[in-house]
Amino acid sequence: MTHRRSRLLRRGAGGRITASVYVALVLIFLFAPLVVVVLVSFSSTSNMNLSLSGFSIRWYQQIATDPLVVAAFGRTALAAIVTALISGVLGLTGALGAVRLTRRWRTAVFTVPLVPLAFPALLFGIGLATFYHAIGLGFSIWATIAGHVILALPFVFLVLGAALERFRFSLLEAARDLGAGSFTIFRTVTLPLLRPAILGAMFLSMAISVDEFVIAFFTAGSQQTLPLVLYGRINLGVNPGLNAIGSILLAVTMALAFLAARTSVLEIP
Amino acid sequence: MLLTPPTLYFLALFVVPLLVLLLYSFYTYENFSFVSKLTLANYTQALTSPALRIFYFRTLKIALVVSITVVVVSYLFSHILMYVLPGAKRILYFLVLVSLFGGYLVRIYAWRTMLGRNGALNGLLISAHLTDHPLSFLLNSNFAIAVALLNFLIPLGVLPIFSAMQNISPRLLEAAQDLGASRLRTARTIVLPLTTRGIRAAFAFCFIATMAEWVTPQLLGGPLDQFVGNQILYEFGETLNWPLGAAIALTLIASVVAGLAILFALLRLVTR
Repeated sequence: MTHRRSRLLRRGAGGRITASVYVALVLIFLFAPLVVVVLVSFSSTSNMNLSLSGFSIRWYQQIATDPLVVAAFGRTALAAIVTALISGVLGLTGALGAVRLTRRWRTAVFTVPLVPLAFPALLFGIGLATFYHAIGLGFSIWATIAGHVILALPFVFLVLGAALERFRFSLLEAARDLGAGSFTIFRTVTLPLLRPAILGAMFLSMAISVDEFVIAFFTAGSQQTLPLVLYGRINLGVNPGLNAIGSILLAVTMALAFLAARTSVLEIP
Repeated sequence: MLLTPPTLYFLALFVVPLLVLLLYSFYTYENFSFVSKLTLANYTQALTSPALRIFYFRTLKIALVVSITVVVVSYLFSHILMYVLPGAKRILYFLVLVSLFGGYLVRIYAWRTMLGRNGALNGLLISAHLTDHPLSFLLNSNFAIAVALLNFLIPLGVLPIFSAMQNISPRLLEAAQDLGASRLRTARTIVLPLTTRGIRAAFAFCFIATMAEWVTPQLLGGPLDQFVGNQILYEFGETLNWPLGAAIALTLIASVVAGLAILFALLRLVTR
């Protein structure tokens, strides 16, 4: 079967070379900005034209002693952790509730939270800002976290939804038949089976929160996160220290996304 | 019962804020502030202001160019992964997913350093003798905005299109080829019709995202390249005319969604 398929779809070497060049060009285009940011962040001079004159970590030392950057780093970490905790708990309760539903209702329950995924961050951002204004709540990192949870929930539900598709509901029945109470079933069957998905979803939530800019822009007020500091300084002019902040953001989000993929076995076809 | 906490959270922090935004869009703007006196004036202004019309059309133009380019590039990319280089598709698709987590603001900033007068691209062009002086139209232009948006949106275009192709049974392709269809004909009559959902999703996502974009034009565009989003931001941040900003934003999203619905309905009629 596979042999026959590969024969059917085989092409001339010329076509494969053209195709490979195209794929390579697209990937170079996608990764070019990321590579440039990291390269320039280790450059010893302050010019940005990639004429790398030497390796240095001076920009990292510079931002490490910058109290504004350090404070923003702390807030970003706080936002990521709290966002992951809240969206993890909400995702878990939602998933456990959905377990008892019929398949059709379950699909519905897992589709609604996907709406913010395609919804423009600008509109949600000004919506949150007017909402906080209307109820007389000031802007703060907590206001931002509340919004980040909404952005993370679609991903939490996607990951947990996929886990529930594979979930063997017969195990719950078996546990019940053997006389286990509902809390025992939860603790010894449901939770262990869903744990990788929940952890993966929480790592993903952290990645989203760390990198998020628009909602933070409208709701954080003076309690700036790392992306907000980056934005503020870009407006002041180009400065190589910014590449170091950018590289840190990049490394953290990618590491978190990688952890998410590893723990929850996100389906990569 | 267990569904209550996430439902309540979703209602309280997503649905209610948007309803408040809707309410604010009817408020009256007076003396650099706004009061809860309901009026339709903001919508009249959002719909009829000639100055705003320039912003709408400028945004629409770039959104169409960007969305169509994303769909074409991602479609070709996915098609090659699935049918030309199937041995490498897992790793290549994984790389695309990785680039998704490359940071939103960081990437926009990177384009700023790359496209500037002393940036990497000009350096490359000069050393390749393609130009003798740095090109200044690379930054603070439509070009820079489009490049950064494409960079950010192509992975999001590959995602739905690739997964639509992934769902096509290879048996269908075998059947077509056993019946004598050429590769091109198979691609056109089997793969393309079965991936329209993916294409529609990719186009809609890119179109909505670009229509409501403001960071990219702000950081990479010139003063005459600003989007509707920047005007909304201006009403919120500078004039403090939140009601007008809200009315522009809601008019924008409503017309974008209506426009997409009409476009897809027409396409369905044409391709039937």
